[in-house]
Amino acid sequence: MRGALAVFKACMKNWIRSRAGVFFSFLFPLLLLLVFGTVFGERGEVKYTLYVQNLDLENGQPSLLSRTFLQVLESVRALRIENLAPTVDVETYVREHPSFTSYRILIIPENFHRKAESKAIYVRTCVISDTVRYLLQTYGSHMKENEREAAENGLALMEKWKENMTIENSEILLLTEEGDTAAPVVGGILASVVNTFNNRLIGAESVAEVQSGRLIHRGLKAADYYLPGYIAAFVMTNGVIGVTSITSDFGRRGVIKMLATTPLKKSSWIVGVVLQQTALALSLALVMVGTGWIIFGVRALPDIWAVLLIVLGAVTFCSLGMAMGGSIRNPDAAAAAGNAVAFPMMFLSGAFWPVEMMPEFMQTVAKVMPLYYFHDGLRRIMILKNPSQAIPSFLVMTVLATVFLTLAIKVTKWREL
Amino acid sequence: MKEKVIEVEGLVKRYGKVTAIAGISFEVCRGEIFSLVGPNGAGKTTTVEILECLRLPTAGMARVLGYDVIADAQEIKKRIGVLPQDFSTFELLTVKENIELARDLHGSKGPVENLLRELGLWEVRNRKFGELSSGMKQRVGVAMALVSEPEILFLDEPTTGLDPQARRELWEVIKKLKSKGVTVFLTTHYMEEVEALADVVGIIVGGRLFAIGEVRELISKYGGEVRVRVEGKRARTILRKFTKNVIEENGAVVGMFSSREKAARALANLYRSSSGLRIEVMEPGMEDVFLRVVGGRVNERGELVR
Repeated sequence: MRGALAVFKACMKNWIRSRAGVFFSFLFPLLLLLVFGTVFGERGEVKYTLYVQNLDLENGQPSLLSRTFLQVLESVRALRIENLAPTVDVETYVREHPSFTSYRILIIPENFHRKAESKAIYVRTCVISDTVRYLLQTYGSHMKENEREAAENGLALMEKWKENMTIENSEILLLTEEGDTAAPVVGGILASVVNTFNNRLIGAESVAEVQSGRLIHRGLKAADYYLPGYIAAFVMTNGVIGVTSITSDFGRRGVIKMLATTPLKKSSWIVGVVLQQTALALSLALVMVGTGWIIFGVRALPDIWAVLLIVLGAVTFCSLGMAMGGSIRNPDAAAAAGNAVAFPMMFLSGAFWPVEMMPEFMQTVAKVMPLYYFHDGLRRIMILKNPSQAIPSFLVMTVLATVFLTLAIKVTKWREL
Repeated sequence: MKEKVIEVEGLVKRYGKVTAIAGISFEVCRGEIFSLVGPNGAGKTTTVEILECLRLPTAGMARVLGYDVIADAQEIKKRIGVLPQDFSTFELLTVKENIELARDLHGSKGPVENLLRELGLWEVRNRKFGELSSGMKQRVGVAMALVSEPEILFLDEPTTGLDPQARRELWEVIKKLKSKGVTVFLTTHYMEEVEALADVVGIIVGGRLFAIGEVRELISKYGGEVRVRVEGKRARTILRKFTKNVIEENGAVVGMFSSREKAARALANLYRSSSGLRIEVMEPGMEDVFLRVVGGRVNERGELVR
C-alpha cells in the first residue's frame, strides 16, 4: 500500500504540472459543459427559419387573409419568419444567397384570400345544408307543414347555389432542400397552423386541445439531463485516452523499467495509477457539478450512490487504459488506439444525447458499450433519484472493472520489459 | 576470504532462436567494482537485467546476496540499487521529489539532503527532471539508486551519451562509492572507464565471456609491450641498449618493452644521457587486452570493429 501511495503522489504531481494533461482532462470537459450546456440548454431555444413570399396582393398590399395567416405563423415560437418580396425570384434568390443552413420557403399564391374565402363559404354552406337535411330526415314528421316546406325550399336553394359556386382549394407551397433534417418538423408545424386556420375560417370550435406539462415536477433543466452524461464521458476519456498514452509513454521512456527495479510490485503500480485517476474523476465530477449548479442552476446533484458509480467508472476505464497502454509500446499508436476506442463510445453510447434519437440498430450498438451503463446509471441516480434503477449499471460496471483490472495486471510487464 | 555477493553459474538467456547469453559464469565480491565490458549486443544488459530481476534466465543459476533471481526477486530488489540503461523517471517531478519517490518505493525513511549534496545535486534539487542535462539526469539516477543505501549498485552503461566532462564527473561519483565500500556492478563499452574504475573486469562478446580477472592482471597478461616512442639524435642507440625490439615509425624510433619496469629503466637513461629528445610512452591498456582477446576493438558508438 505504501508503494501504491507513493505512485499515487508522484502521478498526481506529474499530472498537476502537465499543462496538456490538466487541459484535456479537466479544463476541456468544463469548456464542453459550458458550450453544450448553453447550446442545448433552455437559454438556447430552437428556432427554424422560414422564408415566406406572399404573392396574394390587393391593390399592391397583402390581402387580409394572407396577412392574418402570416401573423399566425409569426406567433409560432419555433419559427423565425423572414419575408421575401413578391418580386423576388425564389430560385435566383437561393442561388445568389448561399447559406450553411437549409432554405425553407413558403409561398402564399395569388388569389389565396379569394379562394380561401369562397371555399370557406362553400364548406359552411355544405355544413348548413347537411344539417337541414339531417333535421328534415330525423324530425320532418314532427314539423308543421309550412315549416317543412320552407326548410325544403331553403335546402333546394342551397343545393342550387352550391352547384353554381366555383370551388378552388387555396394551396400554399412549401419548398425545402434535399437533406434538410428539420424540413419534416417545419412541415408538421405548418400543417398544424393550416389546420387551425381552416377551422377558424369555417367557424369550427376546437374540440380537443394539447396542454404541455412536465413528467417530473422537480424543476429540472436540460443541463440536469446532460451533466451526468458529460461526467461519465470525460471520466471515460481520461481513462481510455489519457491513461493509455501516459502508460505507453512511461513504458517507452523507461520509467516503468525504473519502477520495476525497485521493490514496488506490479499490482501496487496499477493500484497507484487507478487511485490517481479515481481522485481525478471525483474532482472532475465535483467541479462539473459545481459549474453546472452555479451557471445553469442544475438540481441533479450526486449522492453517495453516484459517487460510488463514478469510482467504479474511473476504475473500469483507467484499467482499460492501463491494459491498452501496457500492450502498445509506441505512444503515438497508443494514443490513436485510445481515441479509436473512446470517441465512438463517447458519441454512440448516448452520453451526449438520448439513445432514442438514434436509429434502432445504433441503439443496439449503444447498449453494448460500457459507457452506456455508466451514464445511464448516473442519470438514474442523479436525475430520477432512484439508485435501485441503477442496479444493472452497478452490476455491469463491477464486472467490467474486474475484467479490465485483471487484464491490466496480466498485460502490464514487470519483467522482460 | 572475500564474501561473494553475486554468483553466476552457466547462465543462459535465449530470445526465441537467438542466444543472448551462452552459459556464462562469474563471481563478484563485496566492496569491489566489477565491470562487464563489451560491444553493443554482447549480452551485458541482458546479464545485468537478470541480476536485477528484470529478466528470467533460460537456464543456469544466478544468485545475488545469496538470493535466487527467480524465486527471491523481492528480497533482492530490497537490497540493491539500479541505474537502468537509458534511465528516465517522472519528467515533471523535481530532482528532490524523484529521489524521495525512490526512497518511498524502497520503504526507506529519512531526509535526502545529504545525498543531494554528496552527488552535487543540491543546486538543482528544485528543478524538474525533464529540464536537466544528460549528465545531471544520470546523477539523479545514481541518487535514486543509492537512496535506499543498497548493498550492491548496478549501473548499466551509466556514461553512454554523456560528454567527456560529465562522464568524468560521474566517474568521480562512482569512485567515492567504492571508497565507502559499496559493491558496484558496471556495464560499459568504454575501455578507459574500465581502467579508471574497475577492480575486476569480464570481457563479453556474443553472449560469451572471453576473459575475466583483475584489470591490472589482464593488462599485464594480454596487454602486450610498453611502447616508448622517441624523436631525436642517438635515440636508436640508447633504446638498443635496453631492448632488441626497436622499429622505425614515421621518422621516430619506437622501442618495445615487455614490462613497465624495463621501460622505466630505459626512460631514465634516455633523460639522463641526452637532452632535446621528444619522448612519448604508450602503456598497454584494456583496449590492447580487448584486441588481443577478442580480435577487434569497440568504437565510440559501441560497435565491434574487427
